[in-house]
Amino acid sequence: MVDPRSMTEPMTPPYASSGAAARLAAEVRDHLWPWSRSGFQRQRAIQAAGLALAVAVSLAWVLAALGQLAPAAIIGWWFGWSVFEIAVRMGSKPYVKEGPWWGSRYRRASLMDMICYVGFKNLMIGAVLFIALKSAGLLVL
Amino acid sequence: MNPISALRSLAAGALLAATALLSPLAIAAEGAYEAPLPAEINTDPELCRHVPCAEVVPGADSFSPRKGKPAYVEAYRSEGGQKTLVGYAFLSTDIVDIPAYSGKPVITLIGMDTKGIITGTKILRHSEPILLLGIPESVLTKFIRQYLGKFVGDKIEIGKAHEGEGMIGLDAITGATVTVIAQNQVIMRSGVAIARQVGILKVEPKPQIRFAPVEDTLSWAQLVDEGSVRRLTVRPEQLGMPRADQPYVDMYYGYLNTPAVGRSLLGRDGYASLMSRLKPGEHAIFIVSSGSDSFKGSGFVRGGIYDRVQVAQDMDAYTFRDLDYINLWGLQAAGAPDYKESAIFIIRDPGFSAAYPWNLVFLANKLDRETGHRDFVSFSDEYWVLGRYMDGGRPTVVKPDAPWLKVWKARKVEIALFAALLVAVAVVYAKRDALTRRSTRKNKWPVNAFKYTAWVISIGFVGFGLLAQPSITQVLTWFHSLLFKWQWELFLTDPFIFLFWIFIIVTTFVWGRGLFCGWLCPFGSLSELLYKVARGVGLGRFQFALPMKWHNRLKWVKYAAFFMLLAVSMFSMGLAEKLAEIEPFKTTYLVGLFNRSWPYTLFASGILALSIFMERPFCKYLCPLGGALAMPSTFRWFGLRRKQECSSCKACAVGCGSLAIDEHGRIDHRECMHCLDCMVLYTDEHACPPLAQERKRRTKAGLPLTPIGRDGYYIPIKPVPAQKA
Repeated sequence: MVDPRSMTEPMTPPYASSGAAARLAAEVRDHLWPWSRSGFQRQRAIQAAGLALAVAVSLAWVLAALGQLAPAAIIGWWFGWSVFEIAVRMGSKPYVKEGPWWGSRYRRASLMDMICYVGFKNLMIGAVLFIALKSAGLLVL
Repeated sequence: MNPISALRSLAAGALLAATALLSPLAIAAEGAYEAPLPAEINTDPELCRHVPCAEVVPGADSFSPRKGKPAYVEAYRSEGGQKTLVGYAFLSTDIVDIPAYSGKPVITLIGMDTKGIITGTKILRHSEPILLLGIPESVLTKFIRQYLGKFVGDKIEIGKAHEGEGMIGLDAITGATVTVIAQNQVIMRSGVAIARQVGILKVEPKPQIRFAPVEDTLSWAQLVDEGSVRRLTVRPEQLGMPRADQPYVDMYYGYLNTPAVGRSLLGRDGYASLMSRLKPGEHAIFIVSSGSDSFKGSGFVRGGIYDRVQVAQDMDAYTFRDLDYINLWGLQAAGAPDYKESAIFIIRDPGFSAAYPWNLVFLANKLDRETGHRDFVSFSDEYWVLGRYMDGGRPTVVKPDAPWLKVWKARKVEIALFAALLVAVAVVYAKRDALTRRSTRKNKWPVNAFKYTAWVISIGFVGFGLLAQPSITQVLTWFHSLLFKWQWELFLTDPFIFLFWIFIIVTTFVWGRGLFCGWLCPFGSLSELLYKVARGVGLGRFQFALPMKWHNRLKWVKYAAFFMLLAVSMFSMGLAEKLAEIEPFKTTYLVGLFNRSWPYTLFASGILALSIFMERPFCKYLCPLGGALAMPSTFRWFGLRRKQECSSCKACAVGCGSLAIDEHGRIDHRECMHCLDCMVLYTDEHACPPLAQERKRRTKAGLPLTPIGRDGYYIPIKPVPAQKA
């Protein structure tokens, strides 16, 4: 029977039952690392392309830090990466948090949930990186 | 579904699709918006070959080349073979670099007669989104015409708040406050700068500095640490050039008249020699630089002006000619750095006083990588002689309020009321459980009284009164400001939108977008109020909702609209602004339904007319701002409650005007408008089927009806063993 209290069925990531500190560390890792061992087994092709893309994105950031990449190109990379990350996560870590961010309820992610999650998370990461680079004087536009 | 319903739904769907497609992407008026200007406009000495100087100085028939610093041209009238000076024309971007709402300056040509009366103003180019399609450009033209006949030395401000207190108040442009505040600064500062330079405005001498007897000899590091020597660095990237390790200019500078500082830097003899060359009231500053380029300017020729550096104090700018230059042969302070270039400049104007703060300004041209144009930019750093070097310490300096602060002070009552409204709505919503428990399916007034009040205030006070309608264009503007030139002052200048966005961001994370969209969005409130009023006056039988099948398809349109606008804005902010006309907000509130051309009026009216028959059609299907806010709503902290029985019971879903409850009884918080109807049912023991069933069972069994818990059920009756006597 469907649980109407959750938009999708509850899910339990491997770290869900860990202590608060361990769970927080695992969540931080989850936010930054979209791949998983089980997902890799299922999506070898997509994961291989993902690694290649990760290298490309890292290069893009280095170029951006050196002032060699126009803003539109950075945003293009951000967008392209986000689309790819959605595909990867739907296979490897197909869950999102439900309710307060400090809580430990998780549920299966629908495609829209994952778009919202990845889009929002990458916007935050992008903004932090962008502001950090600008503040450090490494990126002047 | 019966055929009539199907037909009605199809028609509604078609209408929605048509309104989306036909959203008035009307042609932008041929005007100054992003008007292409010749690249030479910033550099050609013959300014008036490129801009219509005669329009701003009526009666003039010839013009001089650019002269002075900042630059202006003299306007002449020929009479009987004689040329008579009749005024001056100047380009705002030669003088100030004040950005308007778009983050870019409004490039304005200004004319002034020989008495300092403004004779003409012409906007050559602007990038203001609101003036692209919202407010006709003629309104801005009308605004700047208010300056005609005004003396440049007058104190002019936007609004009539201080009229009669020595200020002249100008009528603002409703909906474009930030633009006109910036434009006021541009015109007045430019006018004053030129009027001072040509001698129309006389400089009023300030009290001069009196030095305290300090005999220290300081090292370079000590001078830098205490602020007697300051640094101004400009990097090539800041001028649109390729990034490089070496700064463009890396200047150290300081005020040499201060005895302890001058002696430390020049040595006792050097200081004495310099002071002997200065007349009373003259001031010396030094600059040393080690950047890749020259602070003196590559175009400098003997007899000319050092066009890259100047000293600014209040509204006055002091530039340097060759006669104001003295060689700096060396720095005596221990630990002084190596440098490539050096100078001592003399300020001879009696209007300058070192007792007060002043700025060293570096002037440059910034290359726009996209267009190849060069725009004037300035970089400055404030210097103020330390109190310990002044007899009696630093004088009290009352700096004028920043323009944004003036706005906050002038509208403090409205701001307080608006802030109180936001807080009140948040508190009421936080206490929703108490309100929904007092309500029943048949009497929802404990909730609706607050909600309807919020709608009415939102429409009348917030929308039509304060024009504080949040819009997707603000999101795009922020995004671009973050990328190119973030200025808090720009956003603080519109206090209502600023506060509204704080409220939106906070409440979206706490409860989801529904509190803003459902309770406080001026357009959303108007839309739903129309629907409710129509129902109240008997039009309910014509009202309908789309079938879930169609709703579930059309609801994605708003997300597509948001992503499309975001993507387009990366390539063309102007096009994105045009496409943002999918929001009927400008037409409804900022400009007015009857003040725009018919496609806009038809579009906004069509949406509002449809709202009479369908609950919030725009919010559900088209609103790009709603789409943008719906996405983070996925991760709101606190949602609405559900019971397990909701999966099979349709009582709430049937009454959900937002169509946010699916066939399994789950609430999609991205779509929910927080009307709280389902929460009213949740604790209504006569309307919620599982509760009603339990109520009947207990009544029949003679059991007491315990209070309803947070889980939506009666608190269970647990038999407790009787205590032994």
